[in-house]
Amino acid sequence: MTNKISRRKFLKVVAGSGVVGFGVMAAGCKGDPSGAQGWIPDQYQGKGDFPVNLKGRVAISQDNPSIERDDEKCILCGQCVEACKNVMGVYGNYPLPLKNEVACVGCGQCTIACPSGAITEKRNIQDVLAAIDDDSKHVVVQTAPATKVSLGEEFGMEPGASVGKKMVGALKEAGFDAVFDTCFSADLTIMEEASEFVHRLTKAKDEIPHLTSCCPGWVKYCEYFYPELMHNLSTCKSPQNMMGATIKSFYAEKKGIKPENIINVSIMPCTAKKFEVGREELQVDDQRDMDYVLTTRELAVLLKHKGIDLNNVAESEYDSVLGESTGAGKIFGATGGVTEAAVRTAYYLATGSNPPADLLSWQPVRGMKAVKEANATIPGVGTVNIAVCHGLENARQLLNGIKEHGSKWQFIEFMACPGGCIGGGGQPKSSEPDIKQKRIAAIYKEDTSSAKRCSHDNTEIQSIYKEFYGKPLSEKAEKYLHTSFVNRHDRLF
Amino acid sequence: MKVKVYKCFRILGWDFTITPTRFVLTGLVALMAATVLLRLLTGFQFVTNLTDETPWGMWIAFDVMCGVALAGGGYSTALLVHMFRYKQCEVVARGALLTSLLGYILVMAGLFLDIGQWFNFWRPFVSWGYTSVLFEVFWCISMYTTILSLEFFEIITERVLVKKLHRHILKILPVLVVIGLVFPVLHQSSLGGLFLIMKEKMFPLWWSQFLPIYFLMSSFFVGSAMVCVETTLARTAYGHEIPHEIMLKLTRVGARIMLVYLLMKIYDLFSMDLWGYVFQGTLQSNMYCLEMLFGIIIPICIIVSPLRKTRGGLLTYAWLTVFGVIINRLNCVFTSMYESGSYFPGIGEIIVSAGLVSLGILVYCFLVENFNIIGNARAVQVKIDKDKDIKNLIWALLRTKRH
Amino acid sequence: MAVLVDITKCIGCEGCSVACKMYNGLDFKAKPRNIKDGHLELDDNRWTVIQEFHTANDDLRFVKKQCLHCLEPACASACFSKAIQKDEKTGAVVYYPDLCVGCRYCMVACPYSIPKYQWNEQFPQVAKCQMCESRLSKGDAPACVSACTTGALISGDRDELIKKAHEIIASDSRYVNHVYGEHEVGGSEWLYISDVPFEELGFKQVSDTPVTNYSKSYLSKVPFFAAGWALFLAGLTYYNHRVEKNKKNQDDENKDKED
Repeated sequence: MTNKISRRKFLKVVAGSGVVGFGVMAAGCKGDPSGAQGWIPDQYQGKGDFPVNLKGRVAISQDNPSIERDDEKCILCGQCVEACKNVMGVYGNYPLPLKNEVACVGCGQCTIACPSGAITEKRNIQDVLAAIDDDSKHVVVQTAPATKVSLGEEFGMEPGASVGKKMVGALKEAGFDAVFDTCFSADLTIMEEASEFVHRLTKAKDEIPHLTSCCPGWVKYCEYFYPELMHNLSTCKSPQNMMGATIKSFYAEKKGIKPENIINVSIMPCTAKKFEVGREELQVDDQRDMDYVLTTRELAVLLKHKGIDLNNVAESEYDSVLGESTGAGKIFGATGGVTEAAVRTAYYLATGSNPPADLLSWQPVRGMKAVKEANATIPGVGTVNIAVCHGLENARQLLNGIKEHGSKWQFIEFMACPGGCIGGGGQPKSSEPDIKQKRIAAIYKEDTSSAKRCSHDNTEIQSIYKEFYGKPLSEKAEKYLHTSFVNRHDRLF
Repeated sequence: MKVKVYKCFRILGWDFTITPTRFVLTGLVALMAATVLLRLLTGFQFVTNLTDETPWGMWIAFDVMCGVALAGGGYSTALLVHMFRYKQCEVVARGALLTSLLGYILVMAGLFLDIGQWFNFWRPFVSWGYTSVLFEVFWCISMYTTILSLEFFEIITERVLVKKLHRHILKILPVLVVIGLVFPVLHQSSLGGLFLIMKEKMFPLWWSQFLPIYFLMSSFFVGSAMVCVETTLARTAYGHEIPHEIMLKLTRVGARIMLVYLLMKIYDLFSMDLWGYVFQGTLQSNMYCLEMLFGIIIPICIIVSPLRKTRGGLLTYAWLTVFGVIINRLNCVFTSMYESGSYFPGIGEIIVSAGLVSLGILVYCFLVENFNIIGNARAVQVKIDKDKDIKNLIWALLRTKRH
Repeated sequence: MAVLVDITKCIGCEGCSVACKMYNGLDFKAKPRNIKDGHLELDDNRWTVIQEFHTANDDLRFVKKQCLHCLEPACASACFSKAIQKDEKTGAVVYYPDLCVGCRYCMVACPYSIPKYQWNEQFPQVAKCQMCESRLSKGDAPACVSACTTGALISGDRDELIKKAHEIIASDSRYVNHVYGEHEVGGSEWLYISDVPFEELGFKQVSDTPVTNYSKSYLSKVPFFAAGWALFLAGLTYYNHRVEKNKKNQDDENKDKED
């Protein structure tokens, strides 16, 4: 037998081993691991332990009443951390490990800072639409001063356009049963707070400095980080809640509607208000002061959902009983506005006559400076030292100074959001560099063009005291218009 | 001996018998085919109730685990007949072989449906995950099914193909038999070995270092029990008689193994300090007691008692043993992992499993009726009609009845 | 590469979870498949999750859950087609879908029940944290570690991290004196330190023996047993053959005698 391998046999062997080899190669080839099909931002390339300025994001609890987040939109840019840490002084100011909760004051600055819209307010639009559609419910809505100079932006209007009357018209068209003005209850707040301030100045000196409490973000911040100063907070409810309590008592009585059938909605520039309306203390006789809060942005969505274009809507007036407002109430939306309004009325309460002209255009408390100082000379009382602070990181530094050296100011206004409420977490997001200044200018323009400049001149306020509350700080006023606070320090420390 | 007579059709030289039962079984097979199509087109979500917590379900626990155990009748009978010269039992060997082969093919069919990326089924042949017990199971079952097919080929070539081929096959049969007794021992025990790695998840009553030995032993004694069951069923169907003494001889070996199994289990209870679990009254302890009492203790009692001499007694032993092994396999897959999650088979899973069993029965009957497997040249007395075409066959299906 | 998780530093921002989904292209919209005891569990679109726990003092703790990338991975050992392999260089336990048959043995074998399955796919794959193997091979940290806001996640060499973990525990009496993952089922790349006992945070209590030891010790015995058994059977066959032959000769002799 020859040892020669036939050509055919050789080819068979080669082909066979080729097939086997290919098979083994194709078979054993492990291919790519699953995953790694996506992308993460450049700041996360590398080991990740580089000292970058910004990374990660803030923690938002599922049951946070003010804000929520859509993870799919999050690009991990870290802007929310920037806002919460450097602007609001919350993130990083509590020790780790955590205690009972992750600190959040609900200010919503993270929603403004979030470039992709991942963080938004917790939505209540469906709740309000359902309430409007429910024929058995009397749905009352109130509008905050800051929203009147901002809502227009959501409909393509100029920044700072004053759209209060249009907003009323739009709300009425949307189906709300009554439209009231939070500026009215701002005047009410001033009546109560100015009286309280004068009382503290003259009689209860250990509650000086008097710290404002209409900003729920600031109030929660105080409860978290400065509980020892809680007794310095004004016991007045915020204008939103004073309005709510008054609606479900005075207005309900007047109109003959059962309080259970009233749904109180507010249009706010603020996400912390959503937290505020859930506070245990804010109810009277088992009726919650407020039911739902819609931010300015949410109202725009609701109106658009109903096909209402703010540009084309007919203007309308606020409903009476709780609809009249003065310039003092209107300036609440700007930083320094509460102070100015309070001083106007405090002057009147202390002296019996209206404040001089410069207090009706009090420049020292106006503007975007972090902490503004001023002093007001009130005949018969003396000089009152006042500070106006906005942005909670600024507040933190101010208060740390107070803890150390004591306070040289007798009255301090705190607003959580930079610029005051016009810069709130629920406001339209704008890329205009001086949007806040424009809104503030619009607010003061509303003030100067108002017939009445001082809260005590509000005739509806006067009649509500005559008919219902009696006088500021009365027993009835204490029941409906004043509140208490909760020490939250141990939840973090 | 009474010979059952069925209405039968001869198509292309093959005999097909129709009975109402087989009609139903065929229907199940058709339903199964539709379900298989759905499974292959849409994956698991519509056909099964499998979840991340219970990734192994009825197809693994019943079709694969029970299937392999019950199909083990082939190797245990072969071991006794060919190795240990239980010559009298030779008469059942062929039937056992057939059941074994059919069982394994059905196991593979069920398994094919259970694997997610079924087009990759060939990967372990070339990408060797040799650290895995499943690797050994996979290879051994593949090899064994091939061997069984070759062994069965001998029976086929008796009637079909060239007679010369038959002689060649007969020559290599002894080698096939030896190999065919190594592989099943390996994979039956390795099916138990699969669970060794689950030490941290398995309920303590079922995990043991002896798991492979337990699975091997139970597959052995269930083998003779299954043969007893099959031949009794065949007798009912075909009037085919197997003497009682032969059955008893086969099962007695199994019963002795069962006793060793029981003793080893009791040793485990002591050495791993598990007595506390046995009488806890929880689901796991109750299932364990069920498995041991009805699957091991009572059958042993039957075999040592005079009951074994009766036909009924032996049959009871056989059925109890079969159910005991089925419960044991199900316990290992489900009950022992109950903490992870609870599971009940989906309708698709039940249809497929029932369909596979039905298919197995139908094929078994066909083969038995057409080849020399259970004794007679052809088990069925053929009532030969003219060659019928399909239309008449369907007509007859609707009007068939047993004489 | 190992990762040290300091549970005391986690604030539950879930940036890690988002980074993982972004990097691996997972579906953000997929509804949770498994929720156990009120805790979100891993699934085919959630390769890492943050679980919220409340301690006895009502303190909040957040625990990051993902594949622990064991030193002796049960899943890799269980895979009979080598679809899961532990990478020598990076230590990551990586899944290769091209080799996967879909038997799901890895899911059953894992003592922590980590691997999940794509139950909704026509050709489902196993799903688990891959430890961003392509990032690791470049020397980068996994996506989740890079994105951690508070520095609760640190990556590095395993021995160094264990040393660091013990230093942290020694320096602060609040920590539980245990590094989870140092020895559990033979140790893992992901290590945890905590001020709350691990049993209260959903960590499974397992022994230090790698579960692969059990299957290894069994498989090592198999070849010998198989060979022995085969030899025994061959011997028996030969013996039977001889007996048959002798019997046949005997019969032939008798037959001859008869004739």
